Amino acid sequence: MTEPASGETLYRKEPKIYPRQVTGRFARLRQIAVWVLLGLFYLLPWITIGGKQAMLFDLPARKFYLFGLTFWPQDFVYLALLLITAGLSLFFFTALAGRLWCGFACPQTVWTEVFIWIERWIEGDRPKRMKLDAAPWTTGKILRKTAKHVVWIVFAAWTGFTFVGFFTPVRELGQNVLALSLGPWETFWTIFYAFATYGNAGFLREQVCKYMCPYARFQSAMFDQDTLIISYDTERGEPRGGRRKSDDRVAAGLGDCINCTLCVQVCPTGIDIRDGLQYECIACAACVDVCDQVMDKMEYPRGLIRYTTENALKHGDTHIFRPRVLVYGLLLLAIFTGTVWSMTTRVPLRADLIRDRNALYRELPGGVVENVYTLKITNMDARGHRYVMAVLNNDQVEIDLGRPLELAAEEVAGISVRLRLPQSAGQGVQTLDIELQASDDPSIRKVIKAKALMPMSSGPSS
Amino acid sequence: MAEESYDETREIPGRWTERKRDVGTVLWIAFLAACAGTFVIFAVVDPDGLNDAWVLPWEMGRRLVYSLGFLFLFVVSLIAGALTAFMIRTGPRRGHAHGRGQPPVPETHPPEENNPDLDIGDFR
Repeated sequence: MTEPASGETLYRKEPKIYPRQVTGRFARLRQIAVWVLLGLFYLLPWITIGGKQAMLFDLPARKFYLFGLTFWPQDFVYLALLLITAGLSLFFFTALAGRLWCGFACPQTVWTEVFIWIERWIEGDRPKRMKLDAAPWTTGKILRKTAKHVVWIVFAAWTGFTFVGFFTPVRELGQNVLALSLGPWETFWTIFYAFATYGNAGFLREQVCKYMCPYARFQSAMFDQDTLIISYDTERGEPRGGRRKSDDRVAAGLGDCINCTLCVQVCPTGIDIRDGLQYECIACAACVDVCDQVMDKMEYPRGLIRYTTENALKHGDTHIFRPRVLVYGLLLLAIFTGTVWSMTTRVPLRADLIRDRNALYRELPGGVVENVYTLKITNMDARGHRYVMAVLNNDQVEIDLGRPLELAAEEVAGISVRLRLPQSAGQGVQTLDIELQASDDPSIRKVIKAKALMPMSSGPSS
Repeated sequence: MAEESYDETREIPGRWTERKRDVGTVLWIAFLAACAGTFVIFAVVDPDGLNDAWVLPWEMGRRLVYSLGFLFLFVVSLIAGALTAFMIRTGPRRGHAHGRGQPPVPETHPPEENNPDLDIGDFR
């Protein structure tokens, strides 16, 4: 076996990471992100808009309720658009500002943050946690550890419950939980999601980012020299070393880095940003915050570790508008406006006229030909409508409906339709433009095509 | 546990390169998975009944649905396989779990060490 290269040790245990608490601009930003994102997650199911849960994915009924809008399976193009928009936004913001997603918005980061708050609240700050883990198992330690896991599990269970509440009306679900009459699938998904939260935010933490996350591997492909990264100003900081505030650092031959190693201690992935940009860095900016505080203490200028770009570090100028940012931005804008436009002009009515398969046509006494159809009609609106049916391009057609065209909110109906034409109206296939319009709202209008069959000559044998 | 030394850039005629092996494996396994998946799904689901669901506006024959179902499963399996191969190939190298190839753990010490003016009470 060959000797390991210098600085490498075989069989070294990867140390557990105890991130030190940090305060400052970016920590506050992350706190706001946590409150807003988790607030949305935990509260949205409880908010009612237009009589419906603000966000409910009713899978058995195959309907999605989003902020008072109802989406049907036929609207799945919006789902595709949403995914494309999400992907493009990720490209756009990554090119512009690096791993913003990882540091502030990723569920892994957001839930881990809360789990660490709980841990800190029960076990204390970094030195206390390290000491507690190293200490032998006393009653006090067992109590503290148990308390932490109980709170974690309760929080995770609530998370699992909320998650299922996006798919089953949450109030109903809550009553079922209280009555201990939860269905098997709801129980399974609640426990599954709770377990995933507990495991990911409590134990896996930065390992998910380091080993499992594909975005962490891909993101470098979206970077360029003008992308915002978190960087240590080597020029300014080195040579690093401890000193008194009153020391003359120029005379002592020292840079601005006082080598307090706080930037390493606050890092949730346990790296040293002073070694340069590393793929483990999730750009949470905790090192920026803590270093700024140290610089303030030492009365040095802030920004020894800062958000900057490679170009800015090299020659001091950075371009925000680059071809890739413009292309991503324009695409994003186009898709977004297109989606909004199409959603606002969406007609909440769907109709199809399906020919009766069993007969071509029927000849009635008096020289009348009858074609039979089934009208499959869906009122996608949140209120009931009465519709008027008319043939636009043939005024000789008589319409006979199996029942009045009145549909309740979100009703789907199959209505038999008979169209009668005098034999003099034509021969062979007649294409009819049939208009359906809500009598109380002329903007809800749909024109569908139907084929009516007529006898070829005036006297066919039947 | 002797480790043979080898030249990573050398290619031996007749042997597949790493890239070739990745692509071949991903394609073949995705194909097998899609076959098995198609078989199981359409043993249970009759595509002729799918028109009642009335999501797609056209009437599709059984054969078209079988083919689309297979292609869909194939593409999904391909994406999963290709991503997995990518993650493994670009991740930590062989021996990582046994301590090889890691950068040293960054050294830390109490911040106030050598910096007597730093008051650790200000940092939680």
